[in-house]
Amino acid sequence: MRPELLKGHLDSVLLAVLEGGPRHGYAVIEALRTGSDGAFDLPTGTVYPALHRLERAGLIGSKWQTVGGRQRRSYHLTPAGRAALREQRAVWEQFSAAVTALLTRHTRPATT
Amino acid sequence: MTTEAQVSGYLTRVAAELPGPRRHRARILAELRDGLDHAVAAHTRTGLPSDQAVTAALDEFGSPHTVAEAFAPELAIAYARRTVAVFILTGPLVGIWWLLLLRPDPWRTGALALLLAIPVLPLIVAAALTAATTLATTGRLIRWLPETAPDRAILAVGTVAALVLLGDAGIIAVYAYSGGPLHPLAFLAILASLSRIVCGIVTIRHTIAWRARVRGTNG
Repeated sequence: MRPELLKGHLDSVLLAVLEGGPRHGYAVIEALRTGSDGAFDLPTGTVYPALHRLERAGLIGSKWQTVGGRQRRSYHLTPAGRAALREQRAVWEQFSAAVTALLTRHTRPATT
Repeated sequence: MTTEAQVSGYLTRVAAELPGPRRHRARILAELRDGLDHAVAAHTRTGLPSDQAVTAALDEFGSPHTVAEAFAPELAIAYARRTVAVFILTGPLVGIWWLLLLRPDPWRTGALALLLAIPVLPLIVAAALTAATTLATTGRLIRWLPETAPDRAILAVGTVAALVLLGDAGIIAVYAYSGGPLHPLAFLAILASLSRIVCGIVTIRHTIAWRARVRGTNG
């Protein structure tokens, strides 16, 4: 799948991945990959900035921990992020239903 | 080359291309390091020998240039927010001396008297408004307000720096032309403005470099 197709929806899918609970950055990226059956296979290093932007917007939060002598940043949904996800999910369901209806409709001759 | 050397070499190449505030860069590198460790472990679990697992992990992350380019917009926003916040917070430290020095007499004579006494006030107000707008449209309020793109945020920083620079140079010129006495208060006011002029020039130079880096990015 072309990465640009995901661009407008990356925020929503990242929020959805974090809906189940906190995850560190690489776990978010793995969930994105496996949850889409490999369709969303972005360069891993480019997904972190999207997480940082969501944090700047207050939709997710992060906590630093020291694990095995290394620093680890774990992300979680904020209440605002949960509300945004609900809203984006509703918009997407409406949009995808409309597009599916149009794209799967059998071709009929236009009436003039 | 050892596994550790490969990962460290990769992170060094990313670091060399990462612009922006040092603290932000350090946190990004720490996070990438943790992610790479996880990626190497994941590839090792699939049965790859350690050197191939590292190569696969680095391929998965993308080239150092790709990763640094991906972070540039967020780092530009971090730089813009930090810089305008510094201008907002330090503004009163400069303005207070000029206000004490040039305040209209008697004190409460309205905005027009204040404007006549400190003619560069509109420049400072414009700078403060630009700075406040930049902070608002790059932070948590972007859930409700239109988000400022990184290149616009950098342009706003340059604008704020240019406005305060003009304001400081202007007020020093006005005071010098009026033949005001050089007593301690005037000395402090001029010194504060000269310091900010230097900061303004440095900031404008930084914003020119940033603009070249993030031109055309939308975050």
